[in-house]
Amino acid sequence: MKRIYLHPIPVRLWHWINAAGFIILILTGIQIRYSNIVKLFSFETAVDIHSWTGFILIANYFIWLFYYLLTLKIRIYIPPLHHPIEFAKKALRQAKFYGFGIMVGEQNPHHPAPDNKFNPMQQMSYIMIMTLLIPVQIVTGLLLWDPKLFSGLVNLVGGIQIIDTIHVLLFIFFSAFIVVHFYLATLGHTTFAHFKAMFTGYEEEEEEHGHSEEHGHSHGH
Amino acid sequence: MNNRRKIFISLLLVFMIFPVYAYVAKGVLSDEAQMCLGCHSSKDLTKQLDDKEILALYINGDEFADSIHNVIGCAGCHMDISMENHPVRKIKSKKEYTANASIVCTMCHTDDQLRKKPMHGYLITKAKTLACVECHGSHYIKSISDWKKGVNETQYCLTCHKYDLSMALKSGELLSLSINESAYKNSVHGNLQCGYCHIGFSKTEHPMRTFKSKKEYTANTSKVCALCHPDSQLKKKPMHGYLITKTKAPTCVECHDSHTIKRIVEWKARLDESRYCLTCHKHDLSISLKSGELLSLYVDESVIRKSVHRNLQCHNCHSGFSKSEHPVGVLKSKREHSIVTGDVCKKCHSKAYTQYEGSIHLTMLKSGDLKAPTCTDCHGAHSIVKATADKTVGLLSCNKCHGEINVAYERSVHSAARNKGDEKAPVCSSCHNAHDVKVTAMTMKMKDVCLECHKDAQNAHKKWLWNPPIALSSFAGLHFDVIACATCHSSDAGRGIYLILYDKKTGKPFPEEEVLKLLETDTAGLIGKIDSNGDSSINASELWNMVKQLNGKGTDVTFTGRMDVRKGTEAHQLAAKTKAVKECEQCHRADSDFFKEVSIVLTKTDGRPTLLNAKQEVLGSIFSVLPVSKFYVLGSTNLKLLDILFIIAVLGGLAVPVGHITLRIVTTPLRTLRRMGKGGKK
Repeated sequence: MKRIYLHPIPVRLWHWINAAGFIILILTGIQIRYSNIVKLFSFETAVDIHSWTGFILIANYFIWLFYYLLTLKIRIYIPPLHHPIEFAKKALRQAKFYGFGIMVGEQNPHHPAPDNKFNPMQQMSYIMIMTLLIPVQIVTGLLLWDPKLFSGLVNLVGGIQIIDTIHVLLFIFFSAFIVVHFYLATLGHTTFAHFKAMFTGYEEEEEEHGHSEEHGHSHGH
Repeated sequence: MNNRRKIFISLLLVFMIFPVYAYVAKGVLSDEAQMCLGCHSSKDLTKQLDDKEILALYINGDEFADSIHNVIGCAGCHMDISMENHPVRKIKSKKEYTANASIVCTMCHTDDQLRKKPMHGYLITKAKTLACVECHGSHYIKSISDWKKGVNETQYCLTCHKYDLSMALKSGELLSLSINESAYKNSVHGNLQCGYCHIGFSKTEHPMRTFKSKKEYTANTSKVCALCHPDSQLKKKPMHGYLITKTKAPTCVECHDSHTIKRIVEWKARLDESRYCLTCHKHDLSISLKSGELLSLYVDESVIRKSVHRNLQCHNCHSGFSKSEHPVGVLKSKREHSIVTGDVCKKCHSKAYTQYEGSIHLTMLKSGDLKAPTCTDCHGAHSIVKATADKTVGLLSCNKCHGEINVAYERSVHSAARNKGDEKAPVCSSCHNAHDVKVTAMTMKMKDVCLECHKDAQNAHKKWLWNPPIALSSFAGLHFDVIACATCHSSDAGRGIYLILYDKKTGKPFPEEEVLKLLETDTAGLIGKIDSNGDSSINASELWNMVKQLNGKGTDVTFTGRMDVRKGTEAHQLAAKTKAVKECEQCHRADSDFFKEVSIVLTKTDGRPTLLNAKQEVLGSIFSVLPVSKFYVLGSTNLKLLDILFIIAVLGGLAVPVGHITLRIVTTPLRTLRRMGKGGKK
């Protein structure tokens, strides 16, 4: 079993804070939006937790950003768009693996390495999430946190209802994403391999690739 | 000669001799009288009475000798005084003295005798305060016939009427019969004898008359004036001409008085203008207007004296009227009179009037609503007091039209504070201004007014109305911007959501007049133009279409929203802050009662709102995202489409692992076979 140091401490810290924060934000978001149905906390408590967590995740986002920018590791998120056909083929192969290969015992076509951590599908989704969706969610969240303070920007976007609509649409996306993300994390060589890796930093990979059935899905990003 | 005959002859002699004796005795003082005069002929002989008055005890011996009573001497009346016995008496006052002295008169002049004369009879029963000596004198009394000969009619009448005589009328009123002699002498009628006006009265005649009331008395008395001042002469003066035709016009004496009448020129010069005008207007004057209404022209002098205008002359307000000018105007109605009168105020109160010109009240008046108040409706005409000194002026005047609101106000914490003596407690004008009264419904003007007194309100709200981690006043301010203070602070009020059509270009409400023009309709047809399905309630797609139509014609409108109480009255029943809404979930929940009533608000140029019913769905419809882009309440204006999307996304997200796991379970044999093939296991 080969052990690859895939997740440095800052990444692991960021990841678990982000994971917990996302779950808290989703749950408190549900409580806030559906306080007439859901009774997990009081509305006030839900808003308080949501706001605090939101700010923690904003800080956390910048930990991620600075870490990847300063170490130049940000390039692992950037799809090789200068080789679009090759990238598209790899992406299709990865999709085919999840949709078919994994069923018939094929090998994961992607073998993670510190400088090639994500498969093409991960690269596409994570670059979108990390550079667009999360910043948009952060900004819309901030605008909703105090619409009067940011009224200029709110009006520029077109009104508070539009801001909320964007925020809720992303909330819906992230709610669905986190379920899928969690599931995909179970598709390591064992069910908890990726979870373990995200705690230890080391991803385990079988030496004999040909003998590995569910190999190579890297979870962390 | 029998005894009876002797007595008869004796009495006959006495009666025959007495006049002779009296005649002879006239001018001759008795010894006793001369003895008394030994002291009482001194002019310095006086007595100080208990009330400090000085009673002269001097008697003119010659005049006494000429009086009809010289024959009975001093002791005839002063029976308890003689040379041997001259007690020092305590006398309280002259009045008491004359009253007591007059009792002696009845020794000879009995009531029965006096009652035979009508006036004496009346005086004995009614005017007991008038003693004999007050009319007839004491020591120098003449025989009535001599006395009458010596005085003219006026002097004769004044003998009694110079005193404080009065007469009770059937109405219960007391009619004064007292005449001020000097005032009468100085009047224009001072040379006339009483009988000129008091026909039937003379030195020999004094009929007894009764009157129902003073009004009847003055009316009857005034008829006499016409003998010298005929209608034809009076009608030459416009106001006299007018008054003569009115049955309720005051009588001559009511304006000109009776015994103190001066020449008009002299009278006018003597009076200041206000007093001159009040000569007539203090009476129950009125004028018939074209509308058939009766406009009272009565002015209560006491009210004017208490008013802030007490030092003004009438013409300062009633321009065109003066001591020499009195145009007879023609007014359509009382209302027109009030409006015209109000216009006068701006001469001095230009600042207040300019403010009033910008008010909803004048706007309403100009648009034909004659119920809208003018200056006098609130301030009164002659009873004007300084409103800043008496805040009840505002309360009382506003109450005339806004009574329902006043009832609500009286239940408020503000009214309670006022009743406890808090002078700073607000009344109507404190919030709505006194003159610059604007429409406040659906505006945030009131918030600013509240904050004028409750300066720390935003900070106070910040203590509990904030989003972690930083307590910013802007977050409380956000609530202040869209929620009227009364929404939370008016206990038991109904709340609703008002979507106000808003012009993004100007940042102000888009005028209803423009909406009507762009939609090519009028006020009556507006709802039909918007409410395409005709259910009298605007739904989300109708709202969308409305904004689309308007923006399609070059406007840039949207709806901004606010929360307010349902009725204007409810905004005034502000309760103590302990009763205010503080629970976030009262508003921030999808089924909040506060969001069940939704209205579309179109705002007229003058600020008045037109409310159109809307369905609650407009707050949560995808159609409303753009038309109502500026109104959003967390948890309460959830877009239903997003809720559906959320359910789909969560189910879809769960479907991925469930489906994938299922497929993996189903395909397990395939993987097993492959593993066996590659791994050599069989």
